[in-house]
Amino acid sequence: MSECILELKGITKIFPGVKALNNVQFQLLPGEVHALMGENGAGKSTFIKVITGVHKAEEGEMFLDGQKVDFKGPKDVQEAGIAAVYQHPTSYPHLTVAENIFMGHEIVKNHMIQWNAMYAEANKLLENLDADFDARAEMGTLSVAQQQMVEIAKAMSTNARIIILDEPTASLTRSESEKLYKLVDHLKEDGVSIIFISHRFEDMYRLASRVTVFRDSQYIGTYPVDGITNEDLIKAMVGREITTMYPKPEVEIGREMLRVEHLSRVGYFKDVSFSVRAGEILGMTGLVGAGRTEVVEAVCGITHAEEGKVYLEDEELHIRKPADAMEKGIILLPEDRQKEGLIMSWGLGRNVTLPTMGKYAKHGLNDNKKEREVSRDLLESVDTKAVDIFQPASSLSGGNQQKVVVAKALGQEMKVVIMDEPTKGVDVGAKAEMYAIMGELAKQGYAIILISSEMPEILGMADRIVVMCNGRKTGELMRDEATQEIILDLSMEKASRKGAD
Amino acid sequence: MEKKSLWKRITGSREALLALILILLFIIVTGFNSSFLTPSSLQQLIKNNAVTMVMALGMLCVMLVGGIDISIMSTLALSGMAIGMLLKYDYISGTIVPFIIAIAIGTVCGFLVGLVVSRADVPPIIATMGFMYIYRAMGYLISNGGEWASASALGSFSDFATTKFLGLNCVIWIVIVCYVFFYWFMKWTRTGRKIYAVGSNPEAADVSGINVRNIKLLVFTIMGLLSGLGGALQVGIYASAMPNMQKGGEMDVIAACVIGGVSMSGGRGTVIGALLGSLILATIVKALPLVGIGSLAQNTFKGVLILVVVVVNIILQRISDRNALKGREM
Amino acid sequence: MAGKSGRSINNVPENPVKKMIFSWEGILVLLLIAINIFCSIFSEFYNISSLLRQMPVYLAEVFLMLGMAFILVMGEIDISVGSIVCLSATLACLVSNAGVPFPAVFLIALLVGTCCGIANALILTNFQELPPMIVTLSTQIIFRGIAEIVLGSGGSVSVTNTDGFRAIAGKVGQVPYILFLVLILAVIFAVILGKSTFGRSVYAIGTNRLTAYYSGINVQRVRFIIYTVMGTLCGLCAMFLISNSYGANTTTGENFEMDAIAMAVFGGIMSTGGKGNIAGGMISAIIIVCLRVGLGQRNVNAQVILLIIGLLLICTVGLPNLIKNARQSLKKS
Repeated sequence: MSECILELKGITKIFPGVKALNNVQFQLLPGEVHALMGENGAGKSTFIKVITGVHKAEEGEMFLDGQKVDFKGPKDVQEAGIAAVYQHPTSYPHLTVAENIFMGHEIVKNHMIQWNAMYAEANKLLENLDADFDARAEMGTLSVAQQQMVEIAKAMSTNARIIILDEPTASLTRSESEKLYKLVDHLKEDGVSIIFISHRFEDMYRLASRVTVFRDSQYIGTYPVDGITNEDLIKAMVGREITTMYPKPEVEIGREMLRVEHLSRVGYFKDVSFSVRAGEILGMTGLVGAGRTEVVEAVCGITHAEEGKVYLEDEELHIRKPADAMEKGIILLPEDRQKEGLIMSWGLGRNVTLPTMGKYAKHGLNDNKKEREVSRDLLESVDTKAVDIFQPASSLSGGNQQKVVVAKALGQEMKVVIMDEPTKGVDVGAKAEMYAIMGELAKQGYAIILISSEMPEILGMADRIVVMCNGRKTGELMRDEATQEIILDLSMEKASRKGAD
Repeated sequence: MEKKSLWKRITGSREALLALILILLFIIVTGFNSSFLTPSSLQQLIKNNAVTMVMALGMLCVMLVGGIDISIMSTLALSGMAIGMLLKYDYISGTIVPFIIAIAIGTVCGFLVGLVVSRADVPPIIATMGFMYIYRAMGYLISNGGEWASASALGSFSDFATTKFLGLNCVIWIVIVCYVFFYWFMKWTRTGRKIYAVGSNPEAADVSGINVRNIKLLVFTIMGLLSGLGGALQVGIYASAMPNMQKGGEMDVIAACVIGGVSMSGGRGTVIGALLGSLILATIVKALPLVGIGSLAQNTFKGVLILVVVVVNIILQRISDRNALKGREM
Repeated sequence: MAGKSGRSINNVPENPVKKMIFSWEGILVLLLIAINIFCSIFSEFYNISSLLRQMPVYLAEVFLMLGMAFILVMGEIDISVGSIVCLSATLACLVSNAGVPFPAVFLIALLVGTCCGIANALILTNFQELPPMIVTLSTQIIFRGIAEIVLGSGGSVSVTNTDGFRAIAGKVGQVPYILFLVLILAVIFAVILGKSTFGRSVYAIGTNRLTAYYSGINVQRVRFIIYTVMGTLCGLCAMFLISNSYGANTTTGENFEMDAIAMAVFGGIMSTGGKGNIAGGMISAIIIVCLRVGLGQRNVNAQVILLIIGLLLICTVGLPNLIKNARQSLKKS
């Protein structure tokens, strides 16, 4: 395959406790747009970081123009003409757009930075991209979409031959996405090869000629986009029939537990109302940044809503801090396990009893023996794959870490359980276990709110689905009326309308 | 929308706001004391604050990468005391040689601090707290346990502080040269911009191939160099060297930077800001006795000033964040 | 629950005695013995009774270490403690000279310290974005500045009625009261930090503040309490300082923050938060006290002692990191 511009073979990358990539391969042809797809945690982002030299793979080879290369770090990769645009722009918020574009390869004459030349050059690049801001603007004042444009301009300024776009459309509105598509077409005409990571099928059909699928850190296959169907792709990505994944139990839905009325928080969400009943799983979905997490965080007292009311069993709540919500039985399993859910360097046992240690304590002193027993029982009840309760949480895989988060919640008096992206970065096996736990909780009569960006998960598990877009609730669907298309439409409703004006 | 952009322009350009405050202060102080705005009085103001002004440039660099250095005045005392003792016992004489020695000692001191911070990952506050006592103690030790070097012992060294060059005091020329150099260095060289980059986003800087550790080493070395220069200036201006000079003076330097809009968390701050900040601080300190605040209360006032500036910054930031959120379409 | 495989997870901790011997505290105990051997060789006057006689002046700083341990475990820093000591000592001397009875003077000193601590706490909890370093750096000059204003141009004050101060400087046999008080407080603080739910939340905050908050810990309340208690301890330290020098001046308590931080850090309490315990801090505090007494007996300059403590501070924080970094770069190449 000497005609490949970029080829990777047998790449294996190991993080403490997880094999993030396992013998993965990839081939990029000159001038093609190649989509890279897979579920969250399939290893796409790690793979990109291996290409760009941020991570060093333990095993494997990389060929550029048929030549074996061994890059020392990100700088070598950049000099070889490979540039990456990350989902969260890695920019310098305090510096100007021009500086962000030219960082590391400033226009210098006699050891002096040529500001005017840099601004002019940057503005030319931005004009090409049809940008609506000036190169003198401060990076931190731009929107995410604008910052992404700067990143693309940066890639172009280095005359990159290969540009990697990591979920570029995730935080863009439809009209902004449309702009990005045009940009990619434009780059393609210039002969740039593009690797495009996305979880939107739409992006792939519109742009890519070939698609490579990763699953569970492994290479599954490369397919031409012409003639491939959603079903084929989902099957390749998920690896099994969806129906067996979601053991949705038949549960008698009881009385209303939590009701949220007209909740608003300036800049995050506006006028959001919903309710959830005992035994019911309420799905909340929408694109990243739609405000789902922010809504439940306000309900749980982590942040504060300015307007609106929250009722638990018809009694109005005044929650000021997370402990208040926990006391009432509203338990949040946060989205970011490593930053919000667990203390990674602590043993599992201490993590599990962190919110409840006061319950076991006598006169303010911890009852370690009781805590050890309780935490072991809880960890065993969710079938955590661990040796003992003293091993640090960081030594577990993502799925087992999530089980520890669940065990932590189970130790508390629960009424409403809010799971924010509980299967993010979790392998397929652990996902199924997670769904089983969810079903079990519903059977026991808890009210469950499931926040997820993964459509099959929402469709498979939820009784009712609330769709949010841009801080507003755009729709509510019953299980039998919901389809992927309707949800997608509701998730982008406002954006497409905005594109139309 | 127009009103917002005007508001943005004023708060956006911190330097303009600071210059406005400085002018207002000048007017107020002149109202109390009409001789304040004369060239000789202004020269005196700069000369008396030359040490703080020069060292504020180093602190700017350190704070830009998110650090802090409270060992600077000990470095100043060590390097100043070293040349004081060398002059006193006639090992050296003249002006240039003592300057070079002081700067060299300061640079080495700063380099060591930089090594400890960048290579051993000691938090800057703890590292410089340690060095604050180490260098101060070394200053005492080389002074044979508290000897002074008085004006007569210094010989002709301190003459530079009283001679004029092209109508301006030599001390003021040194300040001007430092500021012009740093203005150029921070704005027009790649190294200067790398300091900003590291302060703004260290991870991104690392990814774009900037050696973050070396930049940290560099800023503390610059700080040391300027502390050494400050030591020579201090000895010259006050025509004496003693081991406890400028004790607590690091607060003035930090205050000047904080007032000048240098962010404590790094990434934000300019040379012009440091200049205006130190001038504002100097003017305020000079004006305090005029409004009946005695010299005893000066330290308290400086502390309150720093606190007020950082708190007001936070409040302004909160307001602007809130406005940005309000402006988000939903 | 679902999918239960009957897998069992061990919950029996390993033998605590074995753990203790190979810990940093174990090394510190050896070091304590070594320092005492060194001191008795270095100074012919160094023995138990001279140690007990001369240690009270240095023991006062150990109170500060106890509070600083909590602050460091929380991942924060308070460099205003020396100035709080100065202000409480100054005001205590002044009210004592105004004829206020001693018990009230004692309470006032504690109260002044507590108020300073509350001032720090109020600023830090209301403006959480502010780094504690800059806040306590500015209150450092403010508190000492207030003392300077109160003391006026003379810059010092002596107590006229020393009876009460003499009383608290008393002894049981050869053992000074302050040693008892330090040990009792150390035990109380060790239990709170090591065994109580409050202590556990301090570790949680110091290791991962966000997770602690999401887990229902009232982070700001914990911070408030700790900074306030730190202030109270400064007041206590001030009283015992006066009982030694019968006065206060503008330099009272200078560099105490470094001593307290050095004791804690040397005792294995990481400045980055989440690690260490009071036992380690106490052993290292006693090492430093012994060293100071021993060096002081041979009239070693106070500046040299500061130099040694400064080096100790930098080395204990820096060396482990340096070794770790060197190992990593070796591994890479």
